[in-house]
Amino acid sequence: MPRIKKKGQAGAAKNYVTRNQAIRKLQITLPDFRKLCIWKGIYPREPRSKKKVSKSSTSSTTFYYAKDIQYLLHEPLLQKFRDQKSLEKKISKALGRGDVTDAARLEGNAARPEKTGKPRYTLDHVIRERYPTFIDALRDLDDCLSMLFLFANLPSTSSVPAKMIARCERLTLEFQHYLIASHSLTKSFLSIKGIYYQANIKGEDVLWLVPYKFNQRIVGDVDFRIMGTFVEFYMTLLSFVNFKLYTSLGLKYPPKFDQLKDENAAELGAFTLEGLTLVNDEPQKQIEDHKPDPKVQAAVNKVLKQIDSKAANGDDAGDAVEVEGEESNDTIDKFEPAAPGGDVLPQPSNLGGSQGALFSNCTFYLSRETPRQPLEFILKAFGCKRVGWDAVLGDGAFTTNELDPAITHQIVDRPPVQNAVEAETEGDDNQTSQKLGANRRVPGRVYLQPQWVWDSVNDGELKEPHLYAPGTSLPPHLSPFVKAMPGAYDPTMPLEEQEPEREALEAEDDDEEVTAEGMDVAEDDDAEDDDAENDFDGVSEDEEEEEADGSDDDAERQRELEAELAGSSVKSKSISKKAKAKEDKLKALSKKSREDEEELERAKGMLSKKKRKLYEQMIYTNTKKNAADEKLRAKRRRLEKEGKRAKA
Amino acid sequence: MAPPRISKKRKDVAESDESDDGLAGTALEGVLSDDEANDSGSESDPNSEDFNDPDDDDVGNDFDATSVSSADDDESKPNYKVVKDANGNERYEYAEIDPVYDSDDSDANEKGNTIGNIPLSFYDSYPHIGYDINGKKIMRPATGDALDALLETIEIPKGWTGLTDPQTGKPLELTREQLELLRRLQTSQIPEENYDPYPDLIPYFTSIEEKMPLSSAPEPKRRFLPSKHEAKRIAKLVRAIKEGRILPYKPPEEREREKGEEEEVHYDIWANEEAQERHIMNIPAPKLAPPGYDLSYNPPPEYLPTQEEREAWEKMDPEEREKEYLPAKFDALRKVPGYGEFVKERFERSLDLYLAPRVRKNRLNIDPNSLLPKLPSPEELKPFPTVCQAIFKGHEGRVRTVSFSPDGEWIASGGDDGTVRIWSLNGHQEWVARLSTEEPVQVVRWRPNKETFILAAVAGEDLFFAVPPLVSDALEKASRDVVDLGFGHATNGAVPTTADGAKKEPPAKWSRPGSKLEAAGVLLKATVRASIKTLSWHRRGDFLCTVSPTGQRSSVAIHTLSKHLSQIPFRRLPGLAQAAHFHPSRPYFFVATQRMIRCYDLQRQELVKVLQPGARWISGFDIHPGGDNLIVGSYDRRLLWHDLDLSNRPYKTMRFHSEAVRAVRYHRALPLFADASDDGSLQIFHGKVVSDLMENATIVPVKMLKGHKIVSKLGVLDVDWHPRHPWCISAGADGTCRLWA
Repeated sequence: MPRIKKKGQAGAAKNYVTRNQAIRKLQITLPDFRKLCIWKGIYPREPRSKKKVSKSSTSSTTFYYAKDIQYLLHEPLLQKFRDQKSLEKKISKALGRGDVTDAARLEGNAARPEKTGKPRYTLDHVIRERYPTFIDALRDLDDCLSMLFLFANLPSTSSVPAKMIARCERLTLEFQHYLIASHSLTKSFLSIKGIYYQANIKGEDVLWLVPYKFNQRIVGDVDFRIMGTFVEFYMTLLSFVNFKLYTSLGLKYPPKFDQLKDENAAELGAFTLEGLTLVNDEPQKQIEDHKPDPKVQAAVNKVLKQIDSKAANGDDAGDAVEVEGEESNDTIDKFEPAAPGGDVLPQPSNLGGSQGALFSNCTFYLSRETPRQPLEFILKAFGCKRVGWDAVLGDGAFTTNELDPAITHQIVDRPPVQNAVEAETEGDDNQTSQKLGANRRVPGRVYLQPQWVWDSVNDGELKEPHLYAPGTSLPPHLSPFVKAMPGAYDPTMPLEEQEPEREALEAEDDDEEVTAEGMDVAEDDDAEDDDAENDFDGVSEDEEEEEADGSDDDAERQRELEAELAGSSVKSKSISKKAKAKEDKLKALSKKSREDEEELERAKGMLSKKKRKLYEQMIYTNTKKNAADEKLRAKRRRLEKEGKRAKA
Repeated sequence: MAPPRISKKRKDVAESDESDDGLAGTALEGVLSDDEANDSGSESDPNSEDFNDPDDDDVGNDFDATSVSSADDDESKPNYKVVKDANGNERYEYAEIDPVYDSDDSDANEKGNTIGNIPLSFYDSYPHIGYDINGKKIMRPATGDALDALLETIEIPKGWTGLTDPQTGKPLELTREQLELLRRLQTSQIPEENYDPYPDLIPYFTSIEEKMPLSSAPEPKRRFLPSKHEAKRIAKLVRAIKEGRILPYKPPEEREREKGEEEEVHYDIWANEEAQERHIMNIPAPKLAPPGYDLSYNPPPEYLPTQEEREAWEKMDPEEREKEYLPAKFDALRKVPGYGEFVKERFERSLDLYLAPRVRKNRLNIDPNSLLPKLPSPEELKPFPTVCQAIFKGHEGRVRTVSFSPDGEWIASGGDDGTVRIWSLNGHQEWVARLSTEEPVQVVRWRPNKETFILAAVAGEDLFFAVPPLVSDALEKASRDVVDLGFGHATNGAVPTTADGAKKEPPAKWSRPGSKLEAAGVLLKATVRASIKTLSWHRRGDFLCTVSPTGQRSSVAIHTLSKHLSQIPFRRLPGLAQAAHFHPSRPYFFVATQRMIRCYDLQRQELVKVLQPGARWISGFDIHPGGDNLIVGSYDRRLLWHDLDLSNRPYKTMRFHSEAVRAVRYHRALPLFADASDDGSLQIFHGKVVSDLMENATIVPVKMLKGHKIVSKLGVLDVDWHPRHPWCISAGADGTCRLWA
């Protein structure tokens, strides 16, 4: 007879440990354990059967995978934590004895990252362990970027040291510079939460959210120690990622940082990218440091010519480093079928190259009410080299002169002002040549609202400017991240193409009533409701009253008129053919649906209990989704109807 | 009486004086105790006091006089002199003791003022300041103008301090030594002048090297060699310096500055990357969903919430909201406000990342309809009954049981009114017999044999065999023969006896039912011990079994028609017996108790199999004509299909009824089975059994037959199939039978 197995000695019970067990095994405090978990990417698990795993009867415990904890035992950071702990003990002991000098000496040894923003330890090895390949790191970059962009916009407090914020800002700006240089930004979206950006880096899609430049409201109990731990890790990660990205473009990392410009709010302009070899140093500088004078323009032209010539004879050994990254030798060849009959394979298209040059021929000027940072970034990322803005928006503009003749597009986000005001402001124009009146337009350039930039970027083409002119109501700004699902509601498509047959029929009914009854809206609504109830049975009383105006048979109209004159009793005879046909259709539909339902019921009966539950769950979610779509369609139908009525 | 009074008065005064003296300072006491003369004087005092009563006023003066005189001539007198005091008594007056060198009195200094603790100011109005030991006045020393005048003339004496001794009232004089002492104390020096705090060290050991060493041992080698231990320590330090563990000292400020300036090191951490297979337990964090259309700052108008939706959203608890934001539309980008929940959302995301338990869930991204089994359409499974062909009315009360005759031309039914009726298929009642007046007819079953026409029916404890006069004479004759065959056996058979020889009661009594019933065609009756619920024939028609759940030991009985013999096969059964059937081809016998079905081998007399349908209370079961499958109906609304070769657990469980399943029945020839339920419906299933062992039976529900009314929560009570055609007959609690075809 085999030995009786004890509970909790093998299997799942050994695979999982509770948090308290883990802490006891590692001999660290809970906050240290939390830090370690965040950095090492260790998370609790949900065991398949909690009952088998838990040794106690309490249910609400978090379980960690035992191997994870075992792996933590060998972590060098653990020793650092212990050292820090013993140092803290020494300090408190010295203070207890009243030995202030000793305590001060020991305090000098202690790392206070929350004050200095600089810990004694590095997280390099953790990065390497968590992300064995660069692609792994890119895959996990979403949260990293969102968090760092948020912290770059936070005010410094006691829990968030200023140095940390400065570093976050620097890292994010460096990352943006990479995106500009590599043209890897693909999409962007203005949401109510902030601005979403998506970039394709080495084939990985990275999506992150940047808040609007406002002071962040901190609601609820937000523990900045936890966020700080994440940020510490993310900063290390992004610095390594930046290094790798810069070196992959042949750029030097870190880029040159101009303190003075940064203090003048140049932000992106405070950095100067440098090639690893200093061959391309000069053109780089000129690209970055624009001054509004013709000399620079000439220089730019020269540089452009240089670049062109470089592209032409790409085998030039001296110019191995391509800073811009748009023109490279390894262009993708197109595979043309030599003989018919072969299968057509999907071919990669060099999207980045074509998209990256979207704004390359434009010169932009940002009015002072527009958000400069996102516009500057997105315009530069899509190939625009010359972005100017009002001097109040900060340093680093291509031009601060609004009247610069080179400007082709001006981004404006203010309502048009009445003419009366215009006359008044004309006098001021003479005094300040730089500023223009509120409603004065410089001829030869296009005035646009900011959404034009985003919509153009997402559609990959310059949108028609008249839709986005200042003062016009903008077309809806649609998320480029939604993938069209078959059957789901798509706001870009006309309603007729996506509504199911039944809905369309019902909608038609409603439409007709509207046209027939004209102005009486309240009654119309009632009728609609009645219809909805009665349609199932296929008998609609209201339909008797309906009068179809689609068929313009004079005779029929005559009959109708007569009937109306005679009274309502005769009216019932004049059910139009069209309504009847529709009724038949509805009837057929309902009959078919009933039959289907019966069949379904029979089939469902033969499912096992487990499968039936699964099936019902799936049906539940599907119907929920369908209901939401239907609601949207109904809303749109109503809105369209209202629009039509308003026009008429 | 006057003198004594006065004396008393004087005594009081004297006493008070005495007590005053006693209260004087401690300095005086010493003087008093040491002075012999005073001692004796004081002893004499009480005596003398009695005498000097009359003129107490003179006492002071007298004293003065005598004391002055005595002071004058004490040299010549021996030790004392006798003087007359005021009262004329003699009085010894001692001379002042001169404390010479030999004297014991060490501190008999000059006469002190004996006023004791009285402040000197009390004497301000007198010329004296107190009294000495002899009661003489001590005159006030010269002060003020007199002294000033004096000072004009004389020079300041040695040791003059300008202070007044509070004890004596005289100017306090301090000697030079005393003053020096005070000075030293004030300057916190050692009080004694000559004390040497640093005396010369007395050398205990000599510092002079001796010419001859004390030990002649040679000098050890270690004194000439460099220390290995020190070399080790130095090497350690050198190593530490080389490795940078020991740094040259720098002031802390400088060190701080350097640390702040030091740049982070940048290097390619993925220089020699190699892809690793992720551990199987690794669950990467799910990415956040990308934003949808409704998150736009300028969404299409249909995404904006209506007023009701907005209110509903605002009313809802923030935890319960499906979306944490409301879509909003802004007509210009400059009007978009900051998102208030941004920090909170990021914080919650980070909490999710490290705190939320992760579990890998396999989301089935398939069309739900692909889960549904491909059922053959009912058209392919035809024939099966679909409509009610005929309704048989005639029973009063419920129809409990119904049965098709083996040739399929007759239907027998029994009900609560105690009658058994036989119907032709067109719904016409052909024959009726009232078996009992009070007991309902529980079961009717035809003998499964086409050569005879025998109907077995049960009412209460009685089992009746009838040969209805509806068939040809030959057939009727054969039937009667079969029924009567056992009469000889029953009477001749040995009556079983118990061990003690007493007659044991047989399990059943076989007899004629009475002339009235015999005339109607009911030919035989067997009475068992408890009322019978079910009845089942063996396929050959010679045996039949009855089950009476209330009869404890004799609940299951097997009757032999040819011998008119009844047997009780089981001594005891676990649980109440519910139904029993013979196996259609083998000598097996199935008995259903409340929860399980047992299969016995009748030849070997042993238990073969126990089936556990899992139902709470089995209502009935039926065996497939092939013999390998079995359906079970239960009061807990389930219909269970057992494959005997597969398992003792059900192969399929079907729960399509909302009320208890009363009866289940297989079709004898076609792949059909039916169940009857209290919800008033019959369900027809297609159940095809393949002889191939590898293939399981296919069960398809094909039809629900509804028509019976529910009377006092009972619907359809029994069902039976036509032997050849896909027709079935059901018995309802509403007093009708229905033929479905």
